[in-house]
Amino acid sequence: MAKKPKVAFFDFASCEGDQLQIANLEERLLDILEHLDVVSFREVSSRRGEDYDIAFVEGSITRLQDEDRLRGIRAQAKILVALGACACIGGINCLKNFLAENVYREEVYGQYARWYGTYAARPLSAVVKVDAEIHGCPIDPNDFARQVKELLLGKAPSNPDYPVCVDCKKAGNICRYDLGRPCLGIITRAGCGAVCVTQGAHCWGCRGLSPHANLDAARLVMDRAGFGRKEAQNLLRFFLGHTAATL
Amino acid sequence: MDAYIVHLERLPALFNAWAKDSALSVPSATPEGFYEFIPWNGEAEIAWDYDLIYNPPKRFVMPAKETLISFDLKDLQAKPVFEAPAQIVFGMHPYDVKAISQLDQLMELGIPDQNYLKRREATVIMALTPQSVAETAFWASVGAEEVQHGFDLYWTKIGPASFLVEVGSKKGEELLHAAAPPTRATVSEKEAARRAKIKVNQFARRKQLLYNWEETPRLLAKNWDSPLWRKNSETCLACGSCNLVCPTCYCFDLVDEVDDKLETGTRSRSWDGCMLTSFALVAGDHNFRPKALDRYRHRYFRKGKYIYDKIGELGCVGCGRCVRACTANIANPLAVFNALWEESTHAF
Ligand code: SF4
Ligand code: SF4
Ligand code: SF4
Ligand code: SF4
Repeated sequence: MAKKPKVAFFDFASCEGDQLQIANLEERLLDILEHLDVVSFREVSSRRGEDYDIAFVEGSITRLQDEDRLRGIRAQAKILVALGACACIGGINCLKNFLAENVYREEVYGQYARWYGTYAARPLSAVVKVDAEIHGCPIDPNDFARQVKELLLGKAPSNPDYPVCVDCKKAGNICRYDLGRPCLGIITRAGCGAVCVTQGAHCWGCRGLSPHANLDAARLVMDRAGFGRKEAQNLLRFFLGHTAATL
Repeated sequence: MDAYIVHLERLPALFNAWAKDSALSVPSATPEGFYEFIPWNGEAEIAWDYDLIYNPPKRFVMPAKETLISFDLKDLQAKPVFEAPAQIVFGMHPYDVKAISQLDQLMELGIPDQNYLKRREATVIMALTPQSVAETAFWASVGAEEVQHGFDLYWTKIGPASFLVEVGSKKGEELLHAAAPPTRATVSEKEAARRAKIKVNQFARRKQLLYNWEETPRLLAKNWDSPLWRKNSETCLACGSCNLVCPTCYCFDLVDEVDDKLETGTRSRSWDGCMLTSFALVAGDHNFRPKALDRYRHRYFRKGKYIYDKIGELGCVGCGRCVRACTANIANPLAVFNALWEESTHAF
């Protein structure tokens, strides 16, 4: 690549955990940054630049004024990359979407509820075109490195389009359903190596719906395994409130 | 075939001797109450009566991910990578041995798969006559209850603490002599082993195909348009679990990865499965099996016809892993083949 692409990081409603994950790459980050010119990255530097080619955007959109800022970033960036579950799929911020607006306003802002504008949380793609998605809550630093390298090599950054079960079988795990436990791996996009199952938990759906997810079948599977509508719904709303809200 | 008698108390000495030069894996119970092959650590408790190893043993000869090529982005050179660690898998049930023998044949067909063959060459397989049968298994009705080849040694428990060990290869026989020399089996001991095999095979036949397994290719050929494919595939999650847990499934995808300096990289293969939506996606966004129905039917044709057409065996050894792994409860070759048989007129 002739010139190093200029890169900037931005965040909306989020915990900045994904940018922290990138900082966690530590010495690996130095090698990767050799190929990039970072003009703005709050987690690791105080530099602020307004001229950039690639924008990494973390967080979900939760207020009308966020939309203008995001559109501004979109207008400047040649490539806009959504970073983490909040940006890619709305994530846990969407939990509030199932409450009445006055309820979540009061919950968050108490007596100042009327001073702040806020609306149903949504992913970046509900407002602007997103060119690439680095999934997860938080993102896997290796996945960030992989996709950045794909961009640098001129390839289209890609994500698996099959469910977490594939990663899980490769990892050799015992299926949660064989243990009488629920798991959203059957409909969630793979790419994480099924870390949560490997660590003894189950998949929560943080990487969003797998593009060909069969939601009807998933409901049937959970129902037969003894997880009725209510339990399944609670599980699905945790991360998938925006994408699987109808469930 | 030569056969020896080995007593239980001699096993630790044998295992320790083998584990010196090879990675030795033995069947063992998991904390959750399933079974896996685990590395022999000098004292692991062997699950002699396990019913089914949870994950398929194909990982020993075809790991979930394996590097095939390393390359250099500066001088544009590529080199093949072969990994073939010496390993011994002790206690594999005959249907799983048969699955590996099937891979042996298929990997040699056409352009021989060098990475597979090198790994296989370095692998010693010790079969074990089952003492339990998994709830979902049906190996005794697809001709996979016993094997005549594909193993180096074949162990059968014939007494509370004694095993008859049949020799399948010179390598196997040498390994048996790694500790104090074993005694040769008498005719009646060989007979006892034969009876042990018959006994478990008879029990395993409680799950049966309604017809002789060799009819399966013709049964499928007649049922391309069966309504069963659509009905069952409606609940398919396209999760690939049935492929990945199958000991005879060998499809893989290729992935290229580069280092952080963008100077060197590797090409690896990792398990893939025909039940995944984009498995048959090719250039120009053309998918030659776009519908769940197409993919679901394809898997049964692979198991029941296409593999048979190549090598004269079913592509399913009846281990029952897919039956257990499919959370949607539709990946059951026995149930599917029997349902087709019942629907058919049998006027072959
Ligand atoms: S534990 Fe979850 S991700 Fe793993 S195979 Fe079972 S359903 Fe799929
Ligand atoms: S297993 Fe599920 S919840 Fe865990 S990281 Fe993967 S996609 Fe996210
Ligand atoms: S198709 Fe199912 S039962 Fe047959 S060998 Fe494969 S995993 Fe086992
Ligand atoms: S395991 Fe079941 S749900 Fe998953 S791809 Fe196979 S048939 Fe479909």
